[in-house]
Amino acid sequence: MSAEPDVIRKCMWPVCLMGLFVTGILSLDCNLLNVHLRRVTWQNLSLLRRMSKSFPIECLKESKAFELPQEILSHTQPLTRDIKEAFYEMSRQAFHIFIQDTFKSNWEEKHLRQVQIGLDQQLQYLEQCLEEEEENEDMREVAEDERTQSGTPVPQLSNLELRRYFNRIDRFLKDKKYSHCAWEIVRVEIRRCFYFFHKFTALLRRK
Amino acid sequence: MVLSQNVSAVGPLNLYPMGMYPMVHISLMFGISYVLPDFSNESCTLKMTLRNLQSILSWELKNHSIVPTHYTLWYTIMSKQEDMKIVGDCTNITRSFCDLTDVWVNMTETYIPKVVGFRGNAALVSCMGSFFLTMDTLPLDPPEFEIVGFTDHISVNVNFQSVASKIPNEEGLQFYLALIEEQSGGTVKKHKPQINGNVTENFIYVIDKLIPKTNYCVSVYFEPKHPRKIKRSPLKCTLFQPGWKSESSESATIGGIITLFLVAAVVISTVAMLKRIGYICLRNNFPKVLNFYKLSVWVFPELPPLEKVATVEVIHINRKKKVWNYNYDDESDSDNEAAPRKSAGGYTTHGLTGRLWPASVSSVTLEDCSDPAAEERDLPEPEADAEALMAPGPSPWQSECTSRGYQGRGNLLQDPFSEEDSSPTEGSGDRIVFNVDLNSVCVRALEDNDDSEVTPMLPSGPEETVVLEDPDETESNLLLVASGGGAQLPSPGPSAEYPWPEDSPSDKSDTSESDVDMGDGYVMRLMNREIFN
Repeated sequence: MSAEPDVIRKCMWPVCLMGLFVTGILSLDCNLLNVHLRRVTWQNLSLLRRMSKSFPIECLKESKAFELPQEILSHTQPLTRDIKEAFYEMSRQAFHIFIQDTFKSNWEEKHLRQVQIGLDQQLQYLEQCLEEEEENEDMREVAEDERTQSGTPVPQLSNLELRRYFNRIDRFLKDKKYSHCAWEIVRVEIRRCFYFFHKFTALLRRK
Repeated sequence: MVLSQNVSAVGPLNLYPMGMYPMVHISLMFGISYVLPDFSNESCTLKMTLRNLQSILSWELKNHSIVPTHYTLWYTIMSKQEDMKIVGDCTNITRSFCDLTDVWVNMTETYIPKVVGFRGNAALVSCMGSFFLTMDTLPLDPPEFEIVGFTDHISVNVNFQSVASKIPNEEGLQFYLALIEEQSGGTVKKHKPQINGNVTENFIYVIDKLIPKTNYCVSVYFEPKHPRKIKRSPLKCTLFQPGWKSESSESATIGGIITLFLVAAVVISTVAMLKRIGYICLRNNFPKVLNFYKLSVWVFPELPPLEKVATVEVIHINRKKKVWNYNYDDESDSDNEAAPRKSAGGYTTHGLTGRLWPASVSSVTLEDCSDPAAEERDLPEPEADAEALMAPGPSPWQSECTSRGYQGRGNLLQDPFSEEDSSPTEGSGDRIVFNVDLNSVCVRALEDNDDSEVTPMLPSGPEETVVLEDPDETESNLLLVASGGGAQLPSPGPSAEYPWPEDSPSDKSDTSESDVDMGDGYVMRLMNREIFN
């Protein structure tokens, strides 16, 4: 008769702790977004580097210039939201590439899974923070409209360039039929992209 | 044979555009020689080393039997489809390394080097690799520094000149942050001095707020991105001398004051708690009589009011024992009550006899003096201030006679039972207490013939002895003796008895009651008053 209350009592405390823990996890602090992005991006960089022991020199002839849009950093005063949106776009596109189950290389799968998980977490984090910003930035939209009228480049242009960039990568893979060399080249290129965005976190920290 | 390697190399500082933020600790090291792993399984191994902010690419042939006479280095990048570019400074070199500090400057690029070993014009060996400079943060050799201990601080003088030239550009230097690491008692504290712009001269960092008499060690280093790749400088230690006497003494004084305050607070709180719970300082609700705070009362206690006392001489008279039946009725007491006898003076005496107690309980024997002719009674002079003292006895009094209305001079003798002034007798189980107002009675000394059994009293001075006795009584009676000098209990012995003053209606007038001395021992009322008042 008293077994159920005892069980409830025993489980109450762990459940409460778990609830608080989950709540804490779900409610990520967007003030620490730059720290999170910096850490996750660097981890992905390391993972991509370790994913393959060495770049096959024979694949060098198949390399291609994917034209990473470095002009994003050329903006004198990129807004925090622009950087976050760029980060979000980059993470989404990279996740889309690495989630494809077309790997024909001898990459270590655990590294690949870790890259996929890291990108997924980064996406969730960015989505939450961007939604919070949208609720609090009505005035900023007005300011952006004014700035747009003054001739300042539209921030969404960077996202477009990013989409084009990753589209080229995806097309390259398809063209190369997801060969080993194609994947190696893509791996090196995305690693380069990750480092490029790693520098973006410094801009977030400054702001 | 193309050697394919994919080796990440750490480029020189000048290769790092903005965005590389190696953390410079002044635990300040400069120049971690970083040797990149060799991913190649080819004939040679390429290594990228960062030394003194210089990116050095070195190679080593696996087959030592093959010894080229000279080497040539080419490279390309992954991001673009470009042809191999030859490194001018590393063409036909005999050394097995090449300084690429000024060649590989783009951190985002993946460089593909190619080293070819020649013997004459024949290529004996070729090695290739890939180096992603970003992955390898810049471990730098720490700069030179000196520490100087002062009375209140430690000064760290960092000589960046030794490494300033190695810092490629402003951009790279901006992101270097210097930290100072203290080691005192095992505690490591990092300091992060801000270094802005180009640092080409010495940099002085002051460390204060130190604990005196403590050994402090300082180490400087540049902290790369990868926290594991840090090259720390050797520790330089100094004992922080207590030249900080003022501060140390101040701190000691403050600490002592705080300690005393805490101790006092603890003591006070403890005492207050004990007092509140009643463990100490118990309240003494003594009665007022025990209140000795009034020192004057204590020292000079108030004397009780003086009571009027009279000296009483107790005369013991042996009489017959008579049972007191407690019946004050005249008829009922007729058997027990002594029949009033008629004295020679015509008085009818009533006597109250009491048992003689060895405890010198004086009792009064009253006799009903109803002798009208009693005038020759000898009555001792009463004392001036004497008054009858009637003390209760443990045995009931025996009333032998009741006083009747006396007549004559100074009719003092009255029925003690009927006298208004007399307080009614109180009888307890064992005793009867008669309160007789001596002002209203006449006492006299019994004559010898009336009471032969009664031994004469021993008057002392101007005493008036009052004898109340019953000749029929054989019980010894205590005679009340009024003495002017105070109450005295006479020793048992012969006592003079003085009859009651006779009732002399004609001889004496009332006006002379007050001061008539009958001369025969009778005490007039006035005298009695003098005695008993």
